[in-house]
Amino acid sequence: MTLSRTVGALALAAGVCAAPAVQAQELTLWSHWADQTAKVEFVESAARAFEQANPGVTIKINWYQKEPLYAALKTALTAGQGPDIFYAEPNQTEYMENGLVLDLKSKLDWNNIEPWAIKVWGYEDGVYGFPLEAWTVETYVNLALAEKAGVEIPVEGVEGAAFVDAVKKIAAAGITPMAQGVADRPYPGAFLTHEILVKKLGVDDYASLLKGGDVKWTDPRVREALDYAKQIIDAGAFPPSISSIKLGEAHRYFHTSPGAVMLQMGSFYPSRAFASPDEGGQPKDFRLSISNGPVPEGAACPKCKTIAVGGSFVVNAASEHADLAAAFLNSMATPEMGNKWLEANLVQTGIKADPSQITGDKAAYLQMLQAANEGASYTFGIPVQQMQGNPREVFTQTVNQAFPSGIIGVDEVIDMMNGAY
Amino acid sequence: MASHPANTGQDRDHANPPGVIAAFLFPALLVYAALTALPVLRTFYNSTHLVVPNRPSEWIGFTHYAKLWTDAIFWKAIWNTLTWAAVAPVLEVAVATLLALCLYAKVPFSRFLRVAWFTPVLMSYVVVGILWMWIYNYEWGALNTMLRAVGLGSLAQPWLGHPDTALASLIAVTTWMWTGFNMVVILAAMSSLPSEVLEAAELDNCGWLAKLWYVILPLIRPTLLNLIVLSFIGKMKIFDLVWVTTQGNPLWATETVSTYVYKRAFQWSTFDLGYPSAIAVIWFFIVLAGVLGLTALFRQQDKLEY
Repeated sequence: MTLSRTVGALALAAGVCAAPAVQAQELTLWSHWADQTAKVEFVESAARAFEQANPGVTIKINWYQKEPLYAALKTALTAGQGPDIFYAEPNQTEYMENGLVLDLKSKLDWNNIEPWAIKVWGYEDGVYGFPLEAWTVETYVNLALAEKAGVEIPVEGVEGAAFVDAVKKIAAAGITPMAQGVADRPYPGAFLTHEILVKKLGVDDYASLLKGGDVKWTDPRVREALDYAKQIIDAGAFPPSISSIKLGEAHRYFHTSPGAVMLQMGSFYPSRAFASPDEGGQPKDFRLSISNGPVPEGAACPKCKTIAVGGSFVVNAASEHADLAAAFLNSMATPEMGNKWLEANLVQTGIKADPSQITGDKAAYLQMLQAANEGASYTFGIPVQQMQGNPREVFTQTVNQAFPSGIIGVDEVIDMMNGAY
Repeated sequence: MASHPANTGQDRDHANPPGVIAAFLFPALLVYAALTALPVLRTFYNSTHLVVPNRPSEWIGFTHYAKLWTDAIFWKAIWNTLTWAAVAPVLEVAVATLLALCLYAKVPFSRFLRVAWFTPVLMSYVVVGILWMWIYNYEWGALNTMLRAVGLGSLAQPWLGHPDTALASLIAVTTWMWTGFNMVVILAAMSSLPSEVLEAAELDNCGWLAKLWYVILPLIRPTLLNLIVLSFIGKMKIFDLVWVTTQGNPLWATETVSTYVYKRAFQWSTFDLGYPSAIAVIWFFIVLAGVLGLTALFRQQDKLEY
C-alpha cells in the first residue's frame, strides 16, 4: 500500500511537472514595409490572430525600410543570429547558397500557394520563401489626357509604329506621353525596354538573355527590340527630368501634376495612387485604365509580361522555433487571407485568392487588373531580380537610367551589357 | 654644489605614477581598439579571405586585389573621388579666402553675411542633398528657372542626370556647404595677424593687393594648408551626399569609392565582404599616401619659405 501510494504520489507529481500551463515562446520577425500601413496592418493582424490561437506564443515584429533591413540582416545572420522569420525577395539567393534559410517544402501548405510563386522561390530541391506579395508590370492610362491628346491606348496594347505615332501625337499636344522616374529605384526606367524585350523574345529566350545564357545582347532580335524602345524614347516619351524624378513623384506626375497619358508601373500602383488626394493620391474623379502597352512587331509572345514576387517571408535556419515560425506562415496561407491581402493592398499575392469575391469600391480596379492579365504569359521577376552582380549593376545604370534618359543609344547598351557578363 | 640626479627620477615617477596613467589611458585605448583598430585589422583579414556564414574562412591570397585591376567601375570611382578631392579643397579655400577678406575689410552687413555664409555647414549632408536636388531639378528647380528667366533656357538641363554635369554639380554643392566653415577659420587667422606687421607694410606704402599677396596670405598659409588637407580627407571619404542625390548615377559619373564599397558590401547579393574590404584597404593606403604627400609638400615649402 505504502509503495503504491508512494508511486502514485510520484506519478502525480511527475504529471504535474510534465504538464505545465503553457510554455511561453516568442517569435521574432523583421520586415520591410515600415511605411506601408496596409501591409503592416495585414501582418500585424495575422500575428495577433496567431497569438490568440496559440496561447503563450507572442510575435514581436520589427518594421524597417528595405536598405536598413538588409544591412541589419547581413550582420545578424553572419553572426549566427537574427530573427526567426524575416522579409526576403526571391533574388536573394545568397540566403539559400549559404544555408541561412530553412527549406519550407515540407512545412507549408503549398496547395494554397500559386504554382508560379512556388517556382520563383524554388532553389535546388527546396522551396524557401512564403510569397506574400506579387506584382505585375502594367501600363496605366490616364483616360482623360489620352482623349485630350486624341489617342487611344486599348487594353490589348498598341503594336509597332502605331505606338510610336501615338507618343509623337501626345508630345505634339504638349502632354508628357509617359511619366517615369528613376531617381530612387534601380528598375522603373527599364520597364519600357524589358517589357518590349520579353514580348519580342518570349519568356525562355528573355530569361537566357538576362542570365547570360545562349541568347546574347548582340542577338538581332534584341537589337530590334532596343531600336523600337529607342524610337519611343526619341519620340519624347519620357519627361526630360526622368533622372531626378522619384518613384512616388512619377505617380503624382501621371495622375495629377502636370499629368501624363501613361505610366508604366508595378501593379503596386494603388498603394500610392489610391491614397486620398491630399496625401498624394489620384483625384477622386480620375479615370484609369490598364493597357498591355507597346507591342513590338514580330513579337514572339505579344501577351508576355513580367510578374515579380516581391515581399516574402523566410525562416531563419538557425531559429529555435522553426516549426512555430512555419506554423505562423501557414496561418497566412489561406484563400481567406489571400483575399484579405488583395482587398487591403490592391496588389497581387502568391497566396491563392479570388478577386471576384471582393466587392465594394475596390472591386472595379481588381477586375480591371484581372482583365489586363487575361491570357498573359509571365516571366518571373524584373531584370534586377533575375540578374546578379556586375550585369545587374550595368543594367541598372544603362537600361534603367541612361537609355531612357537619352544619354546613350542602342549600340552603347549592347556593348555595355555584353561586356557585363 | 650638490646634485641630486636620483631624486629627479623619483620625483618624476611620483608625479606620473604609471598606474594612474594606465587607468586614464585604458578606457580610451579600449574604445580605440574595439571601434577602430579591430575593424581595420578585420578589414585587412577579410580582404584576403573568403568569409561566408556557416563555413570556416578560406585564405584566398590576393585574388580580390587582382580582380580590382580589371574592375572598370572601381577605376571610375577612383577617378571621380580623386577629381573631387583635388578640385573641391582648392575651390573651397579660394572662395573662403575671398569671403573672409570681405568680412575682414568690414563690408556692409558683414555680421549678417558671416552667419549666412556659415549656415550651410550646420546642415547635414542629407538635408543639403535634398535641397540641391530641388535646386537642380530640370523642370522647376531654381537654377533652371533662373536660366530660363534670363533668356538662357538653352543651358537648362538635368544637372544631376547627365554624366557631363553630375560630378561638377556635386562638387559645387560641397563647395557651397564647406566654404563658410573655411571662411570662419581663415577669418580667425586673419584677425590674429600681428598688427605691427600690417602697420609696417602700410608705412612702406604697400598697396592693398600687395599687402594681401606679400603679407596676409603668407602669414595665414599654414591655416590654408591645414584646411586643404582636412578638405582633401573629407572628400576622399565622401558618401552621404552622393547616396542621397545620385547613388553614383548616371553611368557611374558620381560613383565614389565609398559608395562603391557600400554597393559591393550590401547591395550585391553576396555575404562575402572580401572584395569591398580589398577596395577599402587599397583606398586606405591611397588616402594615407595623399595625406603624407600633402604634408611633406607643405613642410618642404615651409622650409624653403622660412
